[in-house]
Amino acid sequence: MATQVIMPKFGMAQEDATILRWLKREGDVVEKGDVLLEVQTDKVNMEVESPGSGILRGTLAQEGQVVPVTQVIAYVLEPDEVLPTSDERGTTVVTPTPASPIKSDRRVTPVAQKILAAAGVDPSSVPSASPEQLTRQDAEKFLAQQRMPNDTQSIRATPAARRLAGEKKIDLTLIPGSGPQGRVQARDVVKTPDAPAPKENVLESESLIDEIIPLQGIRRTIANRMQASSQTAPHITFTVKADMTAAYAWRDEMTALAKVEHAPTVSFTALLVKVCAWALMRHRWVNASLHEDGIHLHRAVNIGVAVARTEGLIVPVIHQADRLNLGDITNRLNDLATRAKSNALTPDDVTGGTFTISNLGMFGIDEFTAIINPPESAILAVGRICKCPRVNEQDQIVARPMMKMTLSADHRVMDGAAAALFLRDVVTALEKPTILLW
Amino acid sequence: MSEPREITYAQAVREALRQAMQRDPQVFLLGEDIGVYGGAFGVTDGLLDEFGSERVRDTPLSEAVIAGTAIGAAVTGMRPVAEIQFMDFITLAMEQLVLQAAKMRYMFGGKARVPMVLRTPAGSGTGAAAQHSESLEAWFVHVPGLKVVMPSTPYDAKGLLLAAIADDNPVIFIEHKLLYKTKGFVPEEYYTLPLATSEIKRKGKDLTLIATSVLVARALEAATQLAQEGIEIEIIDPRTLKPLDTAAMIQSVCKTGKALVVHEAPMTGGFGGEIVAQLCASEAFDFLDAPIRRLAGLDVPIPYNRELEKRAVPQVADIVREARALVRGEY
Repeated sequence: MATQVIMPKFGMAQEDATILRWLKREGDVVEKGDVLLEVQTDKVNMEVESPGSGILRGTLAQEGQVVPVTQVIAYVLEPDEVLPTSDERGTTVVTPTPASPIKSDRRVTPVAQKILAAAGVDPSSVPSASPEQLTRQDAEKFLAQQRMPNDTQSIRATPAARRLAGEKKIDLTLIPGSGPQGRVQARDVVKTPDAPAPKENVLESESLIDEIIPLQGIRRTIANRMQASSQTAPHITFTVKADMTAAYAWRDEMTALAKVEHAPTVSFTALLVKVCAWALMRHRWVNASLHEDGIHLHRAVNIGVAVARTEGLIVPVIHQADRLNLGDITNRLNDLATRAKSNALTPDDVTGGTFTISNLGMFGIDEFTAIINPPESAILAVGRICKCPRVNEQDQIVARPMMKMTLSADHRVMDGAAAALFLRDVVTALEKPTILLW
Repeated sequence: MSEPREITYAQAVREALRQAMQRDPQVFLLGEDIGVYGGAFGVTDGLLDEFGSERVRDTPLSEAVIAGTAIGAAVTGMRPVAEIQFMDFITLAMEQLVLQAAKMRYMFGGKARVPMVLRTPAGSGTGAAAQHSESLEAWFVHVPGLKVVMPSTPYDAKGLLLAAIADDNPVIFIEHKLLYKTKGFVPEEYYTLPLATSEIKRKGKDLTLIATSVLVARALEAATQLAQEGIEIEIIDPRTLKPLDTAAMIQSVCKTGKALVVHEAPMTGGFGGEIVAQLCASEAFDFLDAPIRRLAGLDVPIPYNRELEKRAVPQVADIVREARALVRGEY
């Protein structure tokens, strides 16, 4: 029997994924569990395994193509089997599970019935805001969600608008239509700015470009989020220096203990996570998010740690870091770092952060400022530890391992004093780690 | 070439008949009351005196006889111009026209020619009720072997009628009762206009309006009103429905992105559907910025009541309303 290979849903909020590359080709013999292709969500790269054994057929989705989750992207067939026709494939749309249990005697309003019947949708599969009845709004919302995000065919647009959008390389789905029932007309396309001119049209600058990396997946996510954060959140930054002498001693002691315990070595990053988690518990405004209804002060302290990769920055999250001891944090960090490098992070690994630490010390950076990772309200940019002259309490100049840290905070959420107090506690805990036991 | 004078559509048709008869002794006229009475609408007035009863022949009240006689004469080498007094009664000549005139050249392997013209006034607007107001052009367009001409101005009527008489194929030449008294500049001398050439009657950029016969005049009036609102519509008259010249209308729709097809005959099965289909299948498709719309007669027999008669077919106000809505995207 033909086994469908569908675009998996890796995370709750995921709607689609980009096909990165097919590792198996049309006609290849595959075993169940073989990796067929790599896909990229807006967060992570994932491998899609073969759901059955047989011959791979119908690999229509191209590399680089964005495919909605649950859509069939290929089939695994028996040797003598033929590919299902496109009609049969068309029926393989998986309807999302209703969010709330549906009452069997739920009323379906006549207009909702009519709308759903016209779309060929069974009302029992449609979630409703009220358990008592399914209204027109529910039906329309459901149908809108069913529509693929980049499916221009289901957009109302005149032929002229389609032609112009094609010529201008503008995504029709992004153009608000001014015609009847929101139909996109030529004038709507005309007043939309052109997409960047295609390569062949810019002969002069073409020679200056070595390669164009399409802005998709993680790169696009980073671009969009950083731009949005930089433009919407008023950043205020605070730089401090911490004397890491005590932290060094403390880490040496921990390392020695780790040997006895046969546990992994504790890193400064692990210590930073622990220190920040402790300080965030004391300064809830730093562990917050700005939303429409107000500022959400988070119950959990979920600390993201930025990890550099060639494909792009990724920020795996240590959830509930305030409840973990250093050993747990170390294990968690090691696990996330390994999986980040091998593209094996799951969307849950990279979501839910409430604060981020970005450490570029290993690259020899003294200090830098970071852009807040929305919807978080603060990010700590950590530089390298280097021996610097410091005046001690006896007014002597001594060489001490110093580390500079810069906190970027969203001024809409917190004032400078709140950020400064948080940062002071971070410095205190690094210089006197014993306070963590307080 | 002499200065064109302003004459009526009926006079232009008569002048074409006279000049054709003067040039070619094989041309003769036949029809009901076309001789002594001068035709129901006076089109053939005076021709009996000028050419005699051999060449201007009053016939019995039998449309089948008129059509059959014309076909027989044409096959034997004459160039008859027959008149059916009201297009409604062409129904009685259908067998002759559809099965004989249209098929003869084909069925005799090209050895027979049927160089005849059948003139007939169509349309409503004279209070003549349902049996004297038909617009049946779509019937004949549907028959391979017939040509169908439908002029909207005196100038076109004269030039196209002379071309139709000179044509070796049977031509159904559809005049309009309301146009007979309309005036236009027409050259005095003999001239022909090629069949199967449409004409742009008005230049515009916002909407392509394709109209036939009396609706061309109403469209022009509507265009004048719309121009005051800043809406410039382009009006194209196919003039010959078959063979149909689609080049100008396709080019025009590519420019305007919107098209409205207007005719008097009822919408359902009307010739407008053919124009819409041709436009949709052409390169104009990619330029369409609104659905192509039709404005046509209601699917009812033409009422006797004058007010209802007007309501049954598109009037100037209807064209203004429909064109404006299309241009503004409020259809």
